[in-house]
Amino acid sequence: MKHIDAATHTRGESQYIDDVPQPEGMLHAAVFGSPIAHGRLLTIDLDKAREVPGVRTILTADDIPGENQVGALIADEMLLAESTVHFVGEPIALVLAETPATAHKAAQMISVETEALPVITDPRVAFEKGEIIGATRTFVLGDVDQAWKDCDVVVEGSCEIAGQEHLYLETQRARAVPREDGCLQIYASTQSPYAVQKGVARILGLPHHKVEVDVKRLGGGFGGKEDQATHWACLAALGAQITGKAIELVLPRHQDMVMTGKRHPYSSDYKIGLKQDGKIVAYEARHYQNAGAAADLSPAILERTLFHSTNAYFIPNVRAFAASCRTNLPPNTAFRGFGGPQGMFVIESAITKAAETLEVTREEIQLKNLLQDHDIFPYGQQVHDANIRRTWQEAEKSFKLKNLQKRIREFNDNHFEKKKGFAIMPICFGISFTATFLNQAGALVHVYTDGSVSVSTGGVEMGQGLITNLAKIAATAFGIDEARVKVETTNTTRVANMSPSAASATTDLNGNATLAAASEILQRLKSFAVKELNLSHPERLTIEKETLLFEGKETGWTWQKLVQSAYFNRVDLSAHGFYATPGVWFNKDKEKGHPFAYHVFGTAAFEVTVDCLRGTYEIDKTKIVHDLGRPMNELIDRGQIEGGLAQGLGWMTLEELKFDDQGRYLSNSLASYKVPDVFFMPDDLEIKLLENVNNTWGPYGTKAVGEPPLMYGIGVFFALQDAMRAFRPEMPLTFDTPMTPEKVLMQLHRDEIEGFKTDSDVMADHQEQPVKETE
Amino acid sequence: MSYTGDAMTRKLVTFKINGSSYETAVREYDVLLDVVRENLNLTGTKRGCDFGTCGCCTVLVDGRARLSCLTLALECVGKEITTIEGLKTDVLHPLQQTFADAGGSQCGFCTQGFIMTAKAFLDEHANPSREEIEEAISGNMCRCTGYIKIVDAIEMAANDKRNGC
Repeated sequence: MKHIDAATHTRGESQYIDDVPQPEGMLHAAVFGSPIAHGRLLTIDLDKAREVPGVRTILTADDIPGENQVGALIADEMLLAESTVHFVGEPIALVLAETPATAHKAAQMISVETEALPVITDPRVAFEKGEIIGATRTFVLGDVDQAWKDCDVVVEGSCEIAGQEHLYLETQRARAVPREDGCLQIYASTQSPYAVQKGVARILGLPHHKVEVDVKRLGGGFGGKEDQATHWACLAALGAQITGKAIELVLPRHQDMVMTGKRHPYSSDYKIGLKQDGKIVAYEARHYQNAGAAADLSPAILERTLFHSTNAYFIPNVRAFAASCRTNLPPNTAFRGFGGPQGMFVIESAITKAAETLEVTREEIQLKNLLQDHDIFPYGQQVHDANIRRTWQEAEKSFKLKNLQKRIREFNDNHFEKKKGFAIMPICFGISFTATFLNQAGALVHVYTDGSVSVSTGGVEMGQGLITNLAKIAATAFGIDEARVKVETTNTTRVANMSPSAASATTDLNGNATLAAASEILQRLKSFAVKELNLSHPERLTIEKETLLFEGKETGWTWQKLVQSAYFNRVDLSAHGFYATPGVWFNKDKEKGHPFAYHVFGTAAFEVTVDCLRGTYEIDKTKIVHDLGRPMNELIDRGQIEGGLAQGLGWMTLEELKFDDQGRYLSNSLASYKVPDVFFMPDDLEIKLLENVNNTWGPYGTKAVGEPPLMYGIGVFFALQDAMRAFRPEMPLTFDTPMTPEKVLMQLHRDEIEGFKTDSDVMADHQEQPVKETE
Repeated sequence: MSYTGDAMTRKLVTFKINGSSYETAVREYDVLLDVVRENLNLTGTKRGCDFGTCGCCTVLVDGRARLSCLTLALECVGKEITTIEGLKTDVLHPLQQTFADAGGSQCGFCTQGFIMTAKAFLDEHANPSREEIEEAISGNMCRCTGYIKIVDAIEMAANDKRNGC
């Protein structure tokens, strides 16, 4: 089934917030943000800005009628700064004007006097100074301290893992429209309508029911609009409440990049101990998360780093520690993978280092330690349906990986400046919100008398195909054509208290809620129909292809007739369905539990070619075997795998966030921040779906697909490193991401580049120490 | 400090867009994207970066793909401008159909930019290789799909066109 919005998307008719005709008299908002990363805010000079023709008013923290607070997990983030600023771009004032251009010009005329305070950008420095958000966390399995002495080899090291811009193409935006009796309607580009509703109510001092949030679709989210869409919606709402006019706030790209948080950079240490045969005995990791200036979702993200700290491996003795460290960068936030990718990068680095010491391949250690059924994760959950070995073996067989590796070795033997590299990346990703209470969803389903169906859920369509999946789920449940089903906007008056569309779980949760609502309506219809048809056993009635069947035989009734007759006999054709994932729990005091309904598994293999004189590289091949359960909609699911992979590859290679030591963001536009373009993708990408997998948790046996494929991208880092090692076997292994072409060059030729004086010096060096060729 | 800003003189000019004439007042510094979206309410064309780096705002000017965020509106007076709305007929345009069939559109925000770029390209290249298609759309950015299904869609449209579908 194609994306349900394909026709309107391709015609340019799909409406995003600022495409909808403006309400009469709507004003446009622009944000003035802090010019410094940390300091006292002494004065704000708004006079010049106020003089700009077309400016209606300028708001500051003093104008907030409710609580000046947008911290969802921890109350540590103001909507508009009061006496202190904590990061460059922190909102200080909101200009409301007749046009967006006027608002932005006026915002540029605002000036502030500040008194600078020390700026911290490094999470380890923050940790030493005690700038820690929430509690530090430690997951423990077995006894690491005892286990080291059972190991034949112990290696340790550290990783510097970079963050990542979301780069949703639709920047953050919201429109707030005042309604009668002090109510507000908010159109927001948010993954979390309920977070916006709660946030606006808090800022304005209103009860939740006076704030209606409506979301049609997002032009991309990727986590960046899970918590951080709330701020912009709150600012628009504040303007609307004070002026009585509709307010629209659209962040220009540059401001979006400067003011919003990103994927968290991590600085991590690892120590890994193994037997001579490659069996991992003990693993210790310490993660210092760069949270930026406020908690945002960082504590929850930190937790997922720990949940995924052993990736797809069973390790009997583990101690994983993590601290969320407060720095003066924009508050970092959710991004596809939600902390998991960082944890997985560190264990993969540790395995790479161990392989070097043991003089074996990475793959030998990986394969030896892959999870098997009933193995225990450090958080206490037993793994079931551990398909990881199946995906690995399927990849080896289908893609003839042994041959591929042999060809790579031959290539490297016969080439000097170009070297190929290889790596395998197995993934294991837990599905469910790790905050157990979020694993709930509601759906409201109406059947109209013409047989058409309306589905509302708490899930948000952001390109991931949710509404297409929901339409298919509802149509399958009712036994009717998909064209009869319309999935409505996500609206807080139809479905209340929804969880964010996140954690890959949106289709699982909202699909199951839709099934619950549909099955209630079906039960009523069947109870009614057995009476009308003088039958018994309503459970023997089914609807297939819009025809009502009894024990598989036609009754002469169509879906349409069934619905019409039921209506005239006063049968309720609407239902609210509710779903709460059963069996998930987690005890934070003990750091043990069963946080995930199930796990998604997969294996990716990479072949890359590095030009070792120039540092440039190509991703030649990516071969994936992915576990989707029973795919419901292959076109959409494959789109998720390819798109997730692209983001993962970008994170590991090109996408480099640059801040200076004063917390100023240097890579603040698409001209200085490089994301994958069409050339970047592997020329040869093959995705095979693991067959014969069932999943009792997902609707119709599906598995969640949103986040896991991103983590395949981690493999490309190690494939590049493998190629570099083929050129320079003595090159020290470092684990700093992203592996940009510049870094490849620097690592391969560090001695020459750092010792560079004159051409003749370099020539002399080369004569003394010729570049070692591999045999 | 004096401020001229929006008070700057506007000129009344006529644009030929999607086969119709539109009279509207523009300033010398207005870019085509603003005129199309704000003055004429043709909102199919999207603003992704304001910087010429994402391709979401691509329109055709005399048949050639142009980034409307970097094109001065007055430059386009007297020229034929086509936006995504101009492709509309009772059925989907072949590129729109293949983007739908191939799954080349996820969140939809970049889609029309790709389609306009691809249209200009296919109008001049009947028999493109996959590499040529990649070259043609290398200035358009998509954050959702990983591009594969977009290239597939354009390839399908080229094949259909060649086969007279």
